[in-house]
Amino acid sequence: MERQLIRLNVNNQDYEIYINPKTLLVEAIRDHIGLTGTKRGCDTVSCGVCTVIVDNMAVKGCSVLAVQTEGKKILTVEGLEVDGKLQPIQKAFLDEGAFQCGFCTSGMLMSATAFLKESKKPTEKQIRDGIEGNICRCTGYNSIVRAIDAVAKGKYTEDK
Amino acid sequence: MNKYTVINPHEPFRVLNTHVHNVDGWAKVTGRATYTFDVKLPGMLYGKILRSPHPHAKIKNIDFSKAMELDGVKAVVTGKDTLGVKQGIWRRYKDLCDEAILPVDKVRYIGEPVAAVAAVTEEIAERAIDLIEVDYEVLPAVFEPLDAIKKDAPEIHEGFERNINVTRHIEWGDVDEGFEEADYIREDWFRCGGQAHMCMETRCAVSSYTPDKKLTIYHSNQSPYYMQGLMAGVLGMREGDIRVIGPYTGGGFGGKFELDGAIFCSTILSMKCYRPVKIVFTREEDFIATKRRTPMFYYSRTGVKKDGTFCAREAKVFTNGGAYTGMGATALYLTGFFHSFPYVWKGYRYDGYRVYTNTLPSTSMRGFGAPQAMWCSEQQIEWIAADLGLDPIEMRRKNAHQEGTILPGQATIASCGIDQCFDEIKKWIKSKGKLRANRSIGISACGFMSGGIFNWFDTPYSFSSAVVTINQDGTVELHVGAQDIGQGSNTTMAIICAETLGVKVEDIKVHSGDTDHCPPDLGAWGSRQTLMTGNATKMAAEDAKKQLLEFAYAQSGLNIVYDLDIKDRWVHAVARPERGYDFGELVKKALRGKDGQKIVGRGYYTPHRKGMISPAYSYMLQGVEVEVDEETGKITLVDSMTAHDCGQPINHLGLIGQLEGAFSMAAGYGYLEYMPYEDGKLMNPNLVDYKMIRAPEMPPANIAEIDTYEPEGPYGAKEAGEGLTNPTAAAIGNALFHRFGVQMKECPIRPEMVVNALKEKAQKK
Amino acid sequence: MALSGPIICPVCGKKAKTGSAIDCARHMFGTGDQPHRKWVDAQVAGQGLSFIDLLIEQATTPGNRSYVLLGEIIQKDAEKREAQKKESEKK
Repeated sequence: MERQLIRLNVNNQDYEIYINPKTLLVEAIRDHIGLTGTKRGCDTVSCGVCTVIVDNMAVKGCSVLAVQTEGKKILTVEGLEVDGKLQPIQKAFLDEGAFQCGFCTSGMLMSATAFLKESKKPTEKQIRDGIEGNICRCTGYNSIVRAIDAVAKGKYTEDK
Repeated sequence: MNKYTVINPHEPFRVLNTHVHNVDGWAKVTGRATYTFDVKLPGMLYGKILRSPHPHAKIKNIDFSKAMELDGVKAVVTGKDTLGVKQGIWRRYKDLCDEAILPVDKVRYIGEPVAAVAAVTEEIAERAIDLIEVDYEVLPAVFEPLDAIKKDAPEIHEGFERNINVTRHIEWGDVDEGFEEADYIREDWFRCGGQAHMCMETRCAVSSYTPDKKLTIYHSNQSPYYMQGLMAGVLGMREGDIRVIGPYTGGGFGGKFELDGAIFCSTILSMKCYRPVKIVFTREEDFIATKRRTPMFYYSRTGVKKDGTFCAREAKVFTNGGAYTGMGATALYLTGFFHSFPYVWKGYRYDGYRVYTNTLPSTSMRGFGAPQAMWCSEQQIEWIAADLGLDPIEMRRKNAHQEGTILPGQATIASCGIDQCFDEIKKWIKSKGKLRANRSIGISACGFMSGGIFNWFDTPYSFSSAVVTINQDGTVELHVGAQDIGQGSNTTMAIICAETLGVKVEDIKVHSGDTDHCPPDLGAWGSRQTLMTGNATKMAAEDAKKQLLEFAYAQSGLNIVYDLDIKDRWVHAVARPERGYDFGELVKKALRGKDGQKIVGRGYYTPHRKGMISPAYSYMLQGVEVEVDEETGKITLVDSMTAHDCGQPINHLGLIGQLEGAFSMAAGYGYLEYMPYEDGKLMNPNLVDYKMIRAPEMPPANIAEIDTYEPEGPYGAKEAGEGLTNPTAAAIGNALFHRFGVQMKECPIRPEMVVNALKEKAQKK
Repeated sequence: MALSGPIICPVCGKKAKTGSAIDCARHMFGTGDQPHRKWVDAQVAGQGLSFIDLLIEQATTPGNRSYVLLGEIIQKDAEKREAQKKESEKK
């Protein structure tokens, strides 16, 4: 099985990994770099639990090969908090109880983060469309929508 | 976005029902929460399962020599590597323990495990699976219960005549007299579909068997104690030599409190090669080889007086049990019981028959037979109201349960807020005014249990236990066996403990999910944990508090008529709350007074003499506004209101989450999650073709919370979250009935069914 | 012919609920184990039926026919036993 050395930049850190070029991005992140916050939930690019951010775009980690993301900036859920301080979206999730089993939460947070960067004053419908690619079996989505809405409305300021 | 109102709010508590963050929140929103899916142990191997392609076949021979030769393969196992024990969760009824997860003699459904491989990588294990050769003698198979009970149908389990697995009969009052008194009798046949649990975390386990004959298992499950007991049974081991760890669990919904192929095969593999083995189901395996909601055929005959008084009902139900019993026996009983809910009947009779077929076994799934029961009952009641020209809400109200209602031989209703639920739904409907032309509202009522009284698992332990230990700095360790599968039981128990002990939630550390350290508990199913583990937690906290206050009483010299209490970490006389002292100071005194031993409080709960089903029942009424596109039959949910009585809410955020989440799952059962089988094969085992509700499709979920007081529950609490999976399918059906006059007999309601129903109606005209 | 006391199950000796014939029938169907099935099979074989036939009949037709039928059989059997007992006591 041929492998090659690739360099991925994840959460502002460069990693060198030696992998089969067919390795999916989510596999590289979880199994080779060892960041298990990003999950896998299907084999048909349908569920969204593997969502990460690549160059500011929400991407399903099972839909791209790791090699395709060389030279790009990858952000996973572990990269959201900075020096132990939560991002507004994470605080909002806590306040709204926007998670239950938590398995979809990482992917949901990444979709929400990318969405909030692009949309300044989203309507409820736009928020719902923004997380359409993420399935949640537990919450019924409404608490997640409330959390995203609260951040969009500026309810949270970052810790100083 | 959602409107939330509270009716009859109780006096506010310090901690109970306040806006408390989920205690596992930080781990979950930062990606730190480790699930079984993430577990990696040193020297770990990866396991894969070979599955039967046939719905019914004898296993003549398994040749895995080629698989063993593949470099990297460390073990291959078949049924011959097991004790051949047929297990089941109904341990008290040996003939219902019918499932050897790696069968020795024959397979009974497509997807059943036949062999398993452990290898150094997942890829090698997959290749090894393809190298195993199985010699099958294919047997005739049968897929529908009404075919399986025929005289010439193939026998699926030896000794089960006509493939009848379990029967249940429930009867009270005088049914025949009731029908005689009725002015109007209606009978209908219904078909209720199955449903996949669709947990975001598929089934998975990491098992490690070591040469000292000890077993450690990480498993995504709803009850580590059940897994420990069941594994001990199939392995011939002592429970105490098995440790089951349930890390953060990615959903359960009733599908994860039995043994599954992941836990069983990974253990057998580990026992063969003495290395940890991890098995993770793919999403497809999760669809085809984990049990599903029970599909049912319902016949219901109901007699009422012309003023709408309910007289009698009799129901006859066949359920598609699939290949094994699982938890299907309980679903059979509960569906029959809840088909009477939430109404008083002069006579009620139910005959339920669970039939084996060569399909995926059916089992418990959130609602446990009640969604099916309500699909039939609540629609039929709506049609009866229409036939008689009566108001459907008032007709229901006139027959509804009340506090004190007795269901003879079955249950006593100790708390019931359904009357106010009717008021709130009426208010909501009125507030909606005139709806758009393509929209209509449907309603449905129901009730549900708060934990079962049954001990078919045959445990000698209390159903729930808790231990509260107080550290010298005033922090508290709470050990419970209740399993948090996302519903927030860790938080609920922390809240109850904090409220009772008089401290804050952040002072409590909850320990759960490990049979080595936590007390036994039947686990997260049947909506039991808030009531049962909640009671155990309250008792343990009260015990600890009493022991602690002994020292304060001794020191204070208070007159015997005065009481001490603790609130917000402040120990004080109730009559003079401004005088007192810090909780932490008291703890230190207590430690010294007890020779340096920490204060430990113990609590436990088992329901006694609480009827045949449950110690307590929640009630609810739901209204759903539905938009239907007449041309395509597409259903869109536009708005909803749920009026709900769960006694005293404990975990505020948790409650809202449960109501909304239950709605999304129930809506899926009503119009989306279709599981078509052809010759025993599931046709859509993936998330492209199996329709899950997504964010844009979820309507607002308005809530009216009616507070009542349930004497059996901790602080008056009852369940919230499973009962709400019951009404929605019927409410959607009723919305269609109101707009079009069509009577939907089968769920989930697919678009083509709507189109056909409208065509038929047009043709009749 | 009225019985002097409640009906005791002829298979396992249990008095089911009120001791009526129909309660005993419910008990037999509910227990459903081999001894009870065999007893019922023997009683209804003459009519070309079996325990399982009665069960399926109950499930597929409205009404309570199978239970009523078994109840009648149990009643007759109990009357017969009592009559036999009285006969043997006379001797």
